[in-house]
Amino acid sequence: MIRLDKVSKRYPNGHYGLVDVSLTIRRGEFLFLVGPSGAGKSSLIRLLYREEAASQGEVFVDQFKLSSLRRSQVARLRRQLGVVFQDVKLLPQRTVYQNVAFAMEAVGASTRDIRKRVPQVLELVGLSRSRDNYPHQLSGGEQQRVGIARALVNNPIYVIADEPTGNLDPETARDIVKLFVEINRRGATVIMATHAKDIVNQMQRRVVAIERGRVVRDEVRGAYGYES
Amino acid sequence: MAMNLNGVSYIVRETMRNLIRNSWMSLASVSTVAISMFVLSFFLVLTINLNHVTAVLQSQVEMKIFINRHVPRSQELALLRQARHWPDVRRIDFFTKQQAAASLKQEFPDQRDLVALISKSNPLFDGYDVYTYRPQAIPQLAERFHKESIVHTVVYEGQVVSRLDKLSNILRWVGWIVEGLLGLATLFIIVNTIRLAVFARRREVQVMKLVGATDWFIRWPFVLEGMVLGILGSLVADGLVDGGYRWLTGAAAVALPFWPLAPLHSVMSEVLMFTLIGGVLVGVLASMVALRRFLRI
Ligand SMILES: Nc1ncnc2c1ncn2[C@@H]1O[C@H](COP(=O)(O)OP(=O)(O)OP(=O)(O)O)[C@@H](O)[C@H]1O
Ligand SMILES: [Mg+2]
Repeated sequence: MIRLDKVSKRYPNGHYGLVDVSLTIRRGEFLFLVGPSGAGKSSLIRLLYREEAASQGEVFVDQFKLSSLRRSQVARLRRQLGVVFQDVKLLPQRTVYQNVAFAMEAVGASTRDIRKRVPQVLELVGLSRSRDNYPHQLSGGEQQRVGIARALVNNPIYVIADEPTGNLDPETARDIVKLFVEINRRGATVIMATHAKDIVNQMQRRVVAIERGRVVRDEVRGAYGYES
Repeated sequence: MAMNLNGVSYIVRETMRNLIRNSWMSLASVSTVAISMFVLSFFLVLTINLNHVTAVLQSQVEMKIFINRHVPRSQELALLRQARHWPDVRRIDFFTKQQAAASLKQEFPDQRDLVALISKSNPLFDGYDVYTYRPQAIPQLAERFHKESIVHTVVYEGQVVSRLDKLSNILRWVGWIVEGLLGLATLFIIVNTIRLAVFARRREVQVMKLVGATDWFIRWPFVLEGMVLGILGSLVADGLVDGGYRWLTGAAAVALPFWPLAPLHSVMSEVLMFTLIGGVLVGVLASMVALRRFLRI
């Protein structure tokens, strides 16, 4: 379970990313995070994997209380999470396969497990044929799918995706969301920040809307609710 | 810090890659370590030799007690028996004036006049050679012997020994200070070499952190790189010291045949130990410093 308790995030330059946000996400949920650009979606997500620390309030992820994590526990927290970053963060000098395998190497997986698991995940995101390409040889959508594969490869309990369908055509975007639905069906909790109005409306899942750092709407079967 | 075989092969691969990618900086680091370790060894060799000389001098006669003439032999021996139980006394050898004359003749066979003099009418005294456990105790002990009525003179070279002791203490301090400064310089250079390697891989480090790699898993290749640089530099220095000391002992055997130089193997074993430990420490420390900023994600 993820729980935010009256969380505010104030950046060093004085800007507020989040203001007094309280939110509970249970295991197995599928949640869309919506809101206009600059609302604070990425700010919330960065708090979850502890790239940033809350300025006020407390964030809990399962047994982890994020304000009082030691360095070694930060690593353990992050192993529970599969994060798709808004800026993808692929390594340009490594191939698709190596980029995905890298996330397994980093947590000390065996070569055998890596050889078995990476092709499976590449198959899942539909990149089997591009496995030996470098990121610059891929389209934007394909790069985002590599990011997704890397987030999924260690079988995380929580999949947290920050606009994984940004700059994709609606067709591909829908495929990717279907992928997340499938992962969610297999048991993972999915949190997805997005601007994809049609998809959100169509899916009828929980929608949390943020505006200027505050949660303004939290609906179990929500709609996007903004003109795009 | 638990690590399986996959981890180990990853670490070794990464280390090699870093070393080769920055081969010029690696070379510069190895040279700096070598210079610094050579200076460390220089002071080590000096101190080891001073200690050696001090030990040799201490094992030689430390104090000579000469007994008044015409004292009955029984009285001489009585003092001898007593003095053996005084604190700090290690050994006492009694000698007669005939023995004293014989050993003088043996020591200076070329001094004709001297030999003639002591052969004709022996002007020497009976006496004791006294050895102690603590060279510092020599002055008091000398005082104590001097108070005995049958004692004529007390002669000792304790001053030499204690001056050598002082000198090697000073040398040790100077050595530590110079070595401290050099160590900092070395650290600085290695930190920069490794920082280059880390900088080239900062994206990798960032991604590793974000997917949950532990700090130690990320550190190991860089720590190993630092250790390799440190050890290589130390070995270069050790080679130089070994060659230099062999040359020195050779030269000294001709120029100063009686100067007691410490043997090569005892010098080298200490030099090796200190430089290798120093090299590893500097390398590990440098890599930790270089990485600190990049691990703070
Ligand atoms: N590192 C930062 N330093 C200072 N201000 C920041 C920082 N990151 C975000 N902000 C500010 O916090 C607010 C929320 O930004 P955030 O990136 O969370 O928005 P978002 O909802 O993810 O937007 P988008 O949909 O464009 O990705 C914005 O006003 C932004 O300027
Ligand atoms: Mg964002």
